[in-house]
Amino acid sequence: MAEHKVTFNHQAEPVVVKSGTLITEAARLAGIEINQPCGGQGRCGRCVVQVIDGKVRQRSALRLSAEDISLGYCLACQSIIEGDISVIVPEQEKIERRLVTDRTAVEVEPPLGYSPEYHQSLKRYFLSFAEPNYEDQTDDLSRLQKQLRVELGFKDVEIPLSLVRKIGSALREGNWQVTVYLNVNGSNESEPHVCMVDVLPFHCESDSPMWGAAIDIGTTTVTLWLVDLWTGVVHAQVSEYNAQIRRGEDVISRIIYADKEGGLQELQQLVVGTINQLIELACKRVKHYPVQPEDILKLTVAGNTTMMHLFLGIPPSYIRLAPFIPTFNQAPFLRAREIGLSANPHAIVDCLPGVASYVGADITAGVLSAGLDDTQKLTLFLDVGTNGEMVLGSKEWLVTCACSAGPAFEGAGVRDGMRATSGAIEEVWIHSETYEPSYRVIGGGKPRGICGSGLISLLAEMFMTGVIDKAGNLNTQLSTSRIREGEHGMEYVVAWGEETQHGKDIVITRVDIDNLLRAKAAIYAGFLVLAQSVGVPLEETEQVLIGGSFGKYLNIEKSIQIGLLPDLPWEKFNFLGNTAVKGAYFALLSQENRERIREIASKMTYIELSADNTFYEAFMSAMFLPHTDMSRFPSVLGAFQTANKLSVQT
Amino acid sequence: MALSGIQIYKLLPQTNCKECGFPTCLAFAMKLAAKQVELSACPYVSEESKAQLQESSAPPIRLITLKSDGYEIKAGNEVVMFRHEKTFYNKPGVFAKIKTSAAEADVKELAGRINDYRVNYVGIDLEVDGIAVEDDARNADKMQKTLSVIRSVSKKPVMLFSDNVASIEAGLSQLSGETPLIGCADSENWEKFAELAKQSKAALAVIADTLDGLAELSEKAKAKGVEDLVLVPKGKNLGHELILQSQIRRLALKANFRSLGYPTLAFCQTHAQIAQAIAKYAGFLVIDQFAEELVYPLLVLRQNIYTDPQKPIQVQPGLYEINNPQPTDPVLVTTNFSITYFSVANEVEGSGLPAYLLVADAEGMSVLTAWAAGKFDAERIAKAVKAANLDTRMSRKRLVLPGAVAVLSGEVEAELPGWEIRVGPREAVDIPKFYKQVLQVN
Amino acid sequence: MPVEVPKEKWPGSVRTITLGALPAEGGTRKRVVTVGGETAMPFMHFEGEIPYPPVVAIEIKDRKPDDWSPLLLETWRDVIDDPAQWAAAAEEAGADLIVLALSLTNRDGNPTTPEEAVASVKAVLAATGVPLIVFGPGQAEADNALLVAVSEATKGERLALGICEDKNYRTIVATAMANGHLVTARTPMDVNLAKQLNILISDMGLPLDRILMDPTTGALGYGIEYGFSVMERLRLAALQGDKMTQLPMIVTPGFEAWKAKESKVGEGVPKAWGDWLNRAINWETLTAMTLVESGADIVVLRHPESVRRVKAAIDELMAAKAFVS
Repeated sequence: MAEHKVTFNHQAEPVVVKSGTLITEAARLAGIEINQPCGGQGRCGRCVVQVIDGKVRQRSALRLSAEDISLGYCLACQSIIEGDISVIVPEQEKIERRLVTDRTAVEVEPPLGYSPEYHQSLKRYFLSFAEPNYEDQTDDLSRLQKQLRVELGFKDVEIPLSLVRKIGSALREGNWQVTVYLNVNGSNESEPHVCMVDVLPFHCESDSPMWGAAIDIGTTTVTLWLVDLWTGVVHAQVSEYNAQIRRGEDVISRIIYADKEGGLQELQQLVVGTINQLIELACKRVKHYPVQPEDILKLTVAGNTTMMHLFLGIPPSYIRLAPFIPTFNQAPFLRAREIGLSANPHAIVDCLPGVASYVGADITAGVLSAGLDDTQKLTLFLDVGTNGEMVLGSKEWLVTCACSAGPAFEGAGVRDGMRATSGAIEEVWIHSETYEPSYRVIGGGKPRGICGSGLISLLAEMFMTGVIDKAGNLNTQLSTSRIREGEHGMEYVVAWGEETQHGKDIVITRVDIDNLLRAKAAIYAGFLVLAQSVGVPLEETEQVLIGGSFGKYLNIEKSIQIGLLPDLPWEKFNFLGNTAVKGAYFALLSQENRERIREIASKMTYIELSADNTFYEAFMSAMFLPHTDMSRFPSVLGAFQTANKLSVQT
Repeated sequence: MALSGIQIYKLLPQTNCKECGFPTCLAFAMKLAAKQVELSACPYVSEESKAQLQESSAPPIRLITLKSDGYEIKAGNEVVMFRHEKTFYNKPGVFAKIKTSAAEADVKELAGRINDYRVNYVGIDLEVDGIAVEDDARNADKMQKTLSVIRSVSKKPVMLFSDNVASIEAGLSQLSGETPLIGCADSENWEKFAELAKQSKAALAVIADTLDGLAELSEKAKAKGVEDLVLVPKGKNLGHELILQSQIRRLALKANFRSLGYPTLAFCQTHAQIAQAIAKYAGFLVIDQFAEELVYPLLVLRQNIYTDPQKPIQVQPGLYEINNPQPTDPVLVTTNFSITYFSVANEVEGSGLPAYLLVADAEGMSVLTAWAAGKFDAERIAKAVKAANLDTRMSRKRLVLPGAVAVLSGEVEAELPGWEIRVGPREAVDIPKFYKQVLQVN
Repeated sequence: MPVEVPKEKWPGSVRTITLGALPAEGGTRKRVVTVGGETAMPFMHFEGEIPYPPVVAIEIKDRKPDDWSPLLLETWRDVIDDPAQWAAAAEEAGADLIVLALSLTNRDGNPTTPEEAVASVKAVLAATGVPLIVFGPGQAEADNALLVAVSEATKGERLALGICEDKNYRTIVATAMANGHLVTARTPMDVNLAKQLNILISDMGLPLDRILMDPTTGALGYGIEYGFSVMERLRLAALQGDKMTQLPMIVTPGFEAWKAKESKVGEGVPKAWGDWLNRAINWETLTAMTLVESGADIVVLRHPESVRRVKAAIDELMAAKAFVS
């Protein structure tokens, strides 16, 4: 087969590849990183490179304009090398560090009445031994086991080989005094499962910290709280983008990537790498105590089902294939070493249980921290991230579903969408007579895109002022130059080039509007299907609890106006922040809470939306502003009629 | 009355033991409410709850089965007035009429044609279910003869209609071991019919022109020990029949009126009667004339009305021609989810540009959903191309994939050698522009 | 023991809509047609009013169509080149209404001009006394150009103009509003989409009693079950009081049934399909009757024999009122 030379960024040494190789593959050989947020599916258009010499065969030119193509721009993941070429890889958009930890940190108080002896599964014991002599020839291990049995009543303690290796030196170094950490697991008091986590020379101070970590592996963001299990105090809260992002922004893209050769291992290493970075960072953040990663003895992990599979290196392929059965919902206890976490190698890793392929441990943990399983009030719990998961219920019963809202509210899949970082338009107002917008930008400078909250606000304003009709069509009959025919159909100009950072117009297109409508319709339809599945009117919901990072930036009024949230009094809505990590924290501290999560996972009834067309019906009726059934949105109807001077036809 | 999922849940043990095969008691309760599972799957339900639940699950319309050697035709067990509320379950049995006055040779020929009629509709073979013998000669010998001739060419279930009980008896003598339908019993002859039905274990059709009359007859027949009844509401015209059929269904379902809780039968002479009988509640149809050009649309209509409306709305997979395309025009591929199909087809149609639209069977899912679920991959696309014979049909082989599955382009290329694989836009609205800029240029 | 029939008392009703205008009302029609007004499900005379019978329209074109079944071309052979004669023949065949579907191109293959469209419409109006529905060629730009001209030239005739779709409704609605016409609103077999388009149109200010909705039905064998259920659901919603569904329904079983292979193709089909002409007419009749049973108010047909059968059936369905009151 023919081979071709590929030169990147005018490097002296071209790489040689076989005919038919993709540019992305050649770049990897050349050691050049090209981000592929969609996992190399040719969907996102972020891997654009410029071919300045030679020609490639383009499978897809999605998101490229005719002008781009004429200048040699192409999608690296869709372009096949069939001759010698020279390629320029533009400066890769650095994945932004929005996550200033201080901004996301929340006040957390240890649960009232927390007592490590009573609640904590990780136990610390101080053991003292009589020195062996010629008469007492008991070996070290038996000596230790006997003490565990006689003094603590644990007959059968699991001690891994690598700890057995430490016993001899620990006993002697500590002058026959050691501190042992045992994880005592199980509600069954008579026969708990006990395993040894560490054995250290000497007795440490009896109230010195025992370190543990609560982790939420989000598709986008990983969050870690470093906790002193003795007092329950959270000493550090850190988060970071999940490094897997560069291999796909959503779970489906990651699953596809994991199916590629070496993909699963790479993704597993990436997320473990992120967690290890966070562990290191968190340790440095702790004031007053010198903490090392090896001091962490127990980690409790929440995350959606795909993330959990990838975290453990378990192939997630079947999650996306009907009938959507994951390999596991509940993982066994693991040790840090098995996964490659840079904690104490024997540290207990407790992966919280999920319910189904698309309702994972992040939701069961969220339900716990939101207290849904313990309330009399009919509660709707919503976690909008890259996916929209929701739970309806109370103490009596819980139903849950997941709808693929898509990442539109995270700014993806929208032409000028971006994450909520500096330069993002986060709120928009449109004048009802001139149709001129004004907007607020995060950081206060010039805008370069619109983030999720800005999109919700923009959609609501366009609808209320009649820039778009209820179906999202731009009204071409209005006299404003902001509504125009663009490259992808009709569009509305939010900011002219002279106002923006990059000098280009920031617009919202008809296609963007459709994507936003679909996203909001999917979420609202999810609510409706849950309510219908149990025969409860959605309007009877007594409280709406919103988790996830998205919630914090959500404007309730605008969200109701576009029909994303149900039309309930505002005081019924509550934002909880990251409920998944909080749930993991509760489970980390207390066996009782851990047991509650298990019960939640076991009693939550999962409604598979693709099983029949109930969801489709609800979705179609929600594909309208605010909704086809306007009686569901009385407050919006009133405001709309006032704004548009319409009267109700009778 | 039917209980909701939550109401049933409250009667269950709520232990989430999973032994019924469902992950939670609530999931099981929802399945029970949907009548998709038997209560006996729960080993721990209390006797008290069992009694309550069983009462609510008794079918309001009795299931009637007509049987002959190797055939079974069911009617009844319906649970809704409108098919969108759930579905219509048992397709009305279609019986074609043969008269006892006909010559033996004609009977044989017609019975053979009815028996052998088979027509393929979207891969399903549709047939006529049986033969209804009308004793217009009012002659027991003829009846017996006619049936023996019929049985010499057809084993399908039969119905025997006569006002002469002796004729029916003679006919039954040819049908041992079968469950035919006999009738029609009216207020005058019902007693003899009931005797005969009881003896021979045949189902009995009772006829009256009012609901009162029908209810009275069914009660009397039941008192005589006949359980398998079929109601024949004899309307004064088409509209009256519609009203009677609707009232019977409604009384059975909404008022749990047991005397009318039986399937119905409609005698159809006109096209309007046929359409109405299928759409509005007949459990059996007897058609006057057997003609292929009528039976085909009739069987298709029955197939259509009795499909499960809870399944996603799909269009027929296959090749659609838009704006008179030529073998050099491009082939656009998409899935058979109706909204997907309509949005693509409308854009192409509206643009006035000629194209083939190849609709792949993706089990009614939209492009991205189907792709995510593995129902729209290179293999399925290649299969659709082959099924539509496009390799020989097209002189220029250009296949355009939806932009949302650009990722498939490499695999499709590998599956379809000799084809030029293009990636179209993500959104249907961009198709006309894509067509003009990309497809027409080269 | 007399049987007590439970009766539904619906809170809502379908709007009453009149097509066409008499000379005294500013039009030229000899008769007008009123549809709608139902307060019960189709023909349930025992529990509500069905004040007006469903009506039958015949669809004609402004010139000989390129893509119609040869059977239809044969049936209308003598009049097919002249819309006025064709319309008169349709009226003769029993049409309560005429649907004139404009072609994208004229006889010479050039785009139909607004002047030509107006001429066809005027000729049809002159040749008949029944109300008229005019459909554009089905392409947004052409629809808008032709229908605006037609609308202005026939001000006050109370035509129904179509077809409004969610992507293209503003121009047609605006011109209908200005010239005293009605519109037909078509959506693809979905209850929500039907309702949404009605909302969009009424948001522009066109009163709801000037909108006919066309839920798209599919033909027998080609999705009629969806159309059937969508119509039942729309009608149920209307009776339950949902204002945005309380519009009479216009359906086009002629168009649907005659594009089916069963009607279009006579050669090389399975023997079990039977005689071509009868099969084709049966296809249209069964499609139409199924839709009449599910709530159609205006049924647009193509073959005179189907018209005869459907009208006869409607007469019987309406006459049943006498048997239950």
